[in-house]
Amino acid sequence: MDAETFAGLIAQAGDKAYNFAYRLSGNEQDARDLVQESFARAFEHAGAYDASRPFDSWLLRILHNVFLDGMRRHWHSRTVSLDAPSPVEDTGWADLLPEDETPAHDELARRESLDLLQKALDRVPLLFKAAVVLCDIEGLSYEEIAQVADVPVGTVRSRIHQGRLLLRREYEALERRGGVAS
Amino acid sequence: MKEHIVGEEISALSDGALSGAARARAEAHLADCGACRRELESLRHLKRLLAAAPRRTLPADLALNLEHRYVGARPWTAAFTRPAFWVPVGAVAAAALAFSVWSRSLSPAGDLPLEPLLAAHERYSAEALVPEPNLVASSYSDPLTLTYADAADGTTE
Repeated sequence: MDAETFAGLIAQAGDKAYNFAYRLSGNEQDARDLVQESFARAFEHAGAYDASRPFDSWLLRILHNVFLDGMRRHWHSRTVSLDAPSPVEDTGWADLLPEDETPAHDELARRESLDLLQKALDRVPLLFKAAVVLCDIEGLSYEEIAQVADVPVGTVRSRIHQGRLLLRREYEALERRGGVAS
Repeated sequence: MKEHIVGEEISALSDGALSGAARARAEAHLADCGACRRELESLRHLKRLLAAAPRRTLPADLALNLEHRYVGARPWTAAFTRPAFWVPVGAVAAAALAFSVWSRSLSPAGDLPLEPLLAAHERYSAEALVPEPNLVASSYSDPLTLTYADAADGTTE
């Protein structure tokens, strides 16, 4: 891969990588570091890239690894273990959310609910968070996520479901503490 | 009542990732199980919430930084193919040409034959700094010399 090709790939995959990094890390500075490190590794190991496959998936895979490596070392002291705690049973999440989102839904409440969502995401163990973000925010299929995370599709399915239950629990707990103005 | 759908299958159903037989089974169960329908709707709601999260784009300064770091390593000769190089060079060339045309338009020499003047100047310099009367009798034949000759004739009359 030459420099010109790499320039095109930065433009093509940069936004997707940054958004994934932001949702994983929950803040701009870590997202920047993650993206920089991922591009550095991609450039360094460009010979290992199979040009017949999408570059952005390959970059997301690198970023996923960079993120896990970093978290394992020192990323956030407050981050919970990579091992999954057993998700709690559903405690009535559906009842806590509006039945339907009408056009009159207040913008401030919407923003607060998005902030709360990111806070809840930050509390979900990494592997589960990554699976949920890749599925629900990046819109990847189970098969694509399996390639990014380098695990079987069955594992992806399990991580996505467990991740959602954990996310729902954390969101609900934050909401109960008054994180969202009603 | 039948056994509830496995949680993973509800998630997979909400993602459209449940295959034929399993999907048919799940849908049949959902038809008469309110609890599973609520769970499915709850997960769908979560998906919508996540999908609505605003997308962050690569900050411009970071994009530039990456490009300089990895694309800036190109050979220096490639700089000559960039507009950043040719635009100022072209501007200087155009300005020089414009000045040249403008300065020529100011010069009266533009309409006069310079060569005979210069040639005459050289000859005068070679023979004498001050014109003498004997110039009248000289054999100069160029226009400038004739002017002198005419003037000399005029003074002798």
